Amino acid sequence: MTPLISPGKPPFYQQSWFLNTLVTAGSVLLCLLLLPGRIPGIELLGVAPHWLLIWVVAWSVKRTVWEGAIAGLVLGLLQDAMTAPQPTHTLSLIVAGVLTARLQKHRYLQEDIVSIALIVFAMAVIAETVLALQISFDQLLSDGSLYPSLPQVWLYHQRVALSSAILSSLWAPALYYPLNRWWDHRRASGYAQDS
Amino acid sequence: MFVLRQWWNRYALKTGVVVVAVASAWFMRITEGAALYEAYHWITRPIQPDLNREQVLENSYILELQQRIVELENQNRSLREFEDYVDTLNEPGIRARVIGHAADHWWQHLILNRGSRQGVKVGHIVTAPGGVVGRVVAVSSNTSKVLLITDATSRVGAKVSRSRVLGVVRGQSNDRLVMEFFEKDPDVKVGDVIVTSSYSRLFPRELPIGRVEFIDITKSPAPEAMIQLSAPSSIIEWAVISPFDPMESVDDPKVSNPEDNHKENP
Repeated sequence: MTPLISPGKPPFYQQSWFLNTLVTAGSVLLCLLLLPGRIPGIELLGVAPHWLLIWVVAWSVKRTVWEGAIAGLVLGLLQDAMTAPQPTHTLSLIVAGVLTARLQKHRYLQEDIVSIALIVFAMAVIAETVLALQISFDQLLSDGSLYPSLPQVWLYHQRVALSSAILSSLWAPALYYPLNRWWDHRRASGYAQDS
Repeated sequence: MFVLRQWWNRYALKTGVVVVAVASAWFMRITEGAALYEAYHWITRPIQPDLNREQVLENSYILELQQRIVELENQNRSLREFEDYVDTLNEPGIRARVIGHAADHWWQHLILNRGSRQGVKVGHIVTAPGGVVGRVVAVSSNTSKVLLITDATSRVGAKVSRSRVLGVVRGQSNDRLVMEFFEKDPDVKVGDVIVTSSYSRLFPRELPIGRVEFIDITKSPAPEAMIQLSAPSSIIEWAVISPFDPMESVDDPKVSNPEDNHKENP
């Protein structure tokens, strides 16, 4: 395999940092544009896969806690932009990114699609729980809260968390596999360049 | 100083990338994702069914037929409200396609393919063949985001069209709404038509919302009724955006309700 950076001075669009930025930002954009669509066949009980969560998990699996947290913050802000800033999605995605990075999957678990699906399943449940907790706190702490009563919130949470977790874990490999292949490839060529 | 310089040499690029990523995400957040929805609009453009004139007329005809069915079913005092409904729909509205739904699982939003370029503004009312659907909460140049009345944070002042009993309708994140009455013993029956009341500040009065499906008279502190929407938001394919200026205060200050101050969504 030829390394992406050749000894000469290639134009900037052939350099690896540019390609990597393009792939990373492009995949985020793709996930964002998939969010409002309800494509027939990939929704369950009116709930679509949580594409941003899958992206955060794919990003954080082989990265540090800080990198996971920053990815969660950025994608959370983007999702806030597309919905509404309260309850904020930054918190749930940061938690998902940090926990995934803490798992240190490459040390303890074998790399396969099933374990990724399992991580995404768990993180989807956790992310929806963080949102439900925010709503619950708002309900408990402020008098004029517009949110429904706690039993209703948690009943709704059950439905959303379960469908979101099932769908996201099923669709996780579709995003994880190509992205991770790319990042692995880049890491390998990066090390080759250093030595 | 040396340590700082060393740190900078090592992490300058990373820091820059992080700052750029966070700043651009924050910018998106400030602009309410307008650029993203514009991109979504242009990308889904080829698969958005074209809303040409013929189709619009056909849709209007279907709408008219549906309203006639309601009229035949209803032969009672709600006839007056029904005429108002026809009137409100005949007002110049902007017809729009539904091109998307909420970008997460907790909000009930619709994304329409008409925006500020076509004259849509925040606060405009969105109706669909089943009656009132929601109100515009954000616009970009070619799309608008609608907060549905089925959203859990949504509150609409409503009344029973037959008996004029007042209440507040709130969403439950599904196809049913809950109406809380102000009176202890409201005159309401299963099948009654529910319309928006004149105490509603964010919606014009006498737009149909749905029908009473089930009444819980024992509910404390106030009786409640389950309202079935005429058209579930998940199957709505097109909608009409009508101009409306939200009122700053309710029009009739003589009858004040304790619930009055929190009966509308923010």
